[in-house]
Amino acid sequence: MNRFARDTTTVTVKELRQLIRDPLSLALTIMFPILLIQIFVVIVTAFSAPSYSIAVVVSDLDGSSTSKNLVDKLTSSRLIKVTQFFQTEEQALHAVESGAATGAVIIPKGFGDALLSNRQAFVILQTDNSKITSSALVQSAVSSSTQSLLELVSARLGPAPVEVILRPISGRPPTGDTFLPGMLGMITILGAFDDIVNAITRERERGTFPRLVLTPTSILSIYSGKISATVVLNAIRTTLMLAIFVLTGLVIRGNVLLVYLATTLIAVFTMSLGLMLSTKIRSSATLTILEIAITFPLFQLAGAIQAPELLASGGRALAAMLPWTYGNDAIRRVIYLGVGLDAISIDLLVLLLGSLVLLPIATLLSKRTM
Amino acid sequence: MSVTTFLGDVLVVMINEFRLLRRNRTAIIISLVILPIFFTVSLGGASGGAGGHFTPTAHLAIAYVDNDLTIASGRLLEALSSSGDFNNLVQGYSEENAIGTLGTGKIYAAIIVPKGFEYGLAKNEQVSLVVYVDDSLNGLGNEVVSGLQSSLQNFSPRAGAGPLLSRGASQVEIIQKGAKFSSFNIGLTIILALVIVFATFYEVAGGMSRESEEGTYARLLVSPISLGAVMLGKTMYDLVLNLIRTFLVFGLAFYAYGARPNTDFGTILAISLLIALLTMGFGFLISAIGIGVRAVIIIEFFLVLFLFAFSGFIIDRELLRGISSTISYALPWAYGMEILRGTILIGRPLLTLIAPLGFIVASIIAFYGIAYVLLRLGRERLVR
Repeated sequence: MNRFARDTTTVTVKELRQLIRDPLSLALTIMFPILLIQIFVVIVTAFSAPSYSIAVVVSDLDGSSTSKNLVDKLTSSRLIKVTQFFQTEEQALHAVESGAATGAVIIPKGFGDALLSNRQAFVILQTDNSKITSSALVQSAVSSSTQSLLELVSARLGPAPVEVILRPISGRPPTGDTFLPGMLGMITILGAFDDIVNAITRERERGTFPRLVLTPTSILSIYSGKISATVVLNAIRTTLMLAIFVLTGLVIRGNVLLVYLATTLIAVFTMSLGLMLSTKIRSSATLTILEIAITFPLFQLAGAIQAPELLASGGRALAAMLPWTYGNDAIRRVIYLGVGLDAISIDLLVLLLGSLVLLPIATLLSKRTM
Repeated sequence: MSVTTFLGDVLVVMINEFRLLRRNRTAIIISLVILPIFFTVSLGGASGGAGGHFTPTAHLAIAYVDNDLTIASGRLLEALSSSGDFNNLVQGYSEENAIGTLGTGKIYAAIIVPKGFEYGLAKNEQVSLVVYVDDSLNGLGNEVVSGLQSSLQNFSPRAGAGPLLSRGASQVEIIQKGAKFSSFNIGLTIILALVIVFATFYEVAGGMSRESEEGTYARLLVSPISLGAVMLGKTMYDLVLNLIRTFLVFGLAFYAYGARPNTDFGTILAISLLIALLTMGFGFLISAIGIGVRAVIIIEFFLVLFLFAFSGFIIDRELLRGISSTISYALPWAYGMEILRGTILIGRPLLTLIAPLGFIVASIIAFYGIAYVLLRLGRERLVR
């Protein structure tokens, strides 16, 4: 047992030393989480900007003072930019169909009269729904402009009769940081996969792996050492990510050690799977490509961007079969809800069992392929 | 050199590439199985296919806590249950119990109808529905609120009365035109672009870099085969692979998930191959710089991330600001996405999208041209 621990430590130290000597890999280990987060910050910033300039065209067929008021409201909207006015409905609709504008608002003849005589009035809104967010923002701008017009035309109208108030149980305000815990999970997975490429396949390509196996060190010690090195690197990556979280204003409600525990188990599971795959895939480039190919669908399936519970039945079944889903769930619940070990024990158990199943298989396959 | 010799050389390079692929079972599995099939199946599983209407909150257990116990609150329950957005409303929870149960997985949200709900509506006062959500499930809060607001559009608190909102804000009705697209159909355009870019870049740039590392590329360069024939041979090989990938993605989407593109398959194929050519040109350019396979993989990863952030994969380009917007308008793949959406979703004829098509074609020519010059310089250095 002593020897096993000693060998494991030796391999761990060797792995870390090797990484320090490889500046590109070291830089990637540190820079990679920052760059990935930056990309997602761009996405979130785009979704939560205070104003946009989405191109909308208007055709005011009514020409009344009321319809002009509505046009004023539309032109002063923070979400859209009225780029052109058309004389006919067809011209306005064509502008959307040809891609020149995202939306077309048509104010029909009789609009002003209908409103002033307290009858139902209507406007026609054509949107390019292939642009998901932009079309929704155009709808929102038109809706709030008509509401604002109604308040102006008829003082008797108050706010919407039923208001829906959202209260997250964590007490946090609903902000754009919902993706951050998922990002931590995904960076842990990608980082651990990259570690396995460094640890096994690249060593195989250099020809040092067979030499390592031929030493008196057991294959289990070698694997344990490599996993331990990943655990250390994962702790560094997790610390870096948590620092970024804190800088972006995210409050970690739970015990931070539980976050480390969850990411460690995700990393160990990913490493175990990577060790298994590396027995069959000898090229580091191929393994890296496979890892990236696997990871992109995981952003959606393992709950990094949206909770797996919100997926369709097929997606939920796939998500339930992936141990990473449980890891991401544990991270989110610790960070957002501040739950303790007992509440995430099943999640952690799934990851642990997954690793305990894969690791012996990887060892067996590795011995066979020697 | 005669045209026949040149075409013969192109064919030789192409056959050689296929021979190499046939010997590499892992590459075949990744390139032609995992990428197109796994990506499409993941999309189908997550979004429920193109045909049916999928509501994320429909199956979720959500507590309906009625503190009012009036006809209006009963009618609200009926309206929610029949909306299709809330098929699993659970009654019998008190407000405290419901809030306490959130986070355990038994219920995911609680809709609280306050005391005085009916009275407030009768007096034409504003009333509030409070929704508690387990916010460890990202995205749930917005989905529940959006489902509630859409159900409230048609809710009338008394039998025979008109919908509640027609008495107020919706005195101006907004008639919405424009085709609606399922999230699967929108996702399909992303998956197709992603699969093509991901696989093609690695096959070209990774393949060239690997050949350089192994020394076979240098041998190829000093052979009588022209550089143009080498590039064209590799391009032809990769176009065939992309043809197969496009068939796989669309075959699966069409037959397994009921996707019905608004354009013919020839157009889809033409756009796919254009995006593939663009990526190949970029791949040649990157490999011409003389970097290793590892660097190619790193560039590939960031290329895909860039495409996610700036090419309209997730965010529409008009929502980006400042430097993000500039990057987006400079990325030729963003125009590819624009064409994919314009044709597959909206059904515009390909030739009406002249501006984005022109940008892509110009980028392909630029990438290939610069790559050719750089590779030629490299060859001359090698020969000297």
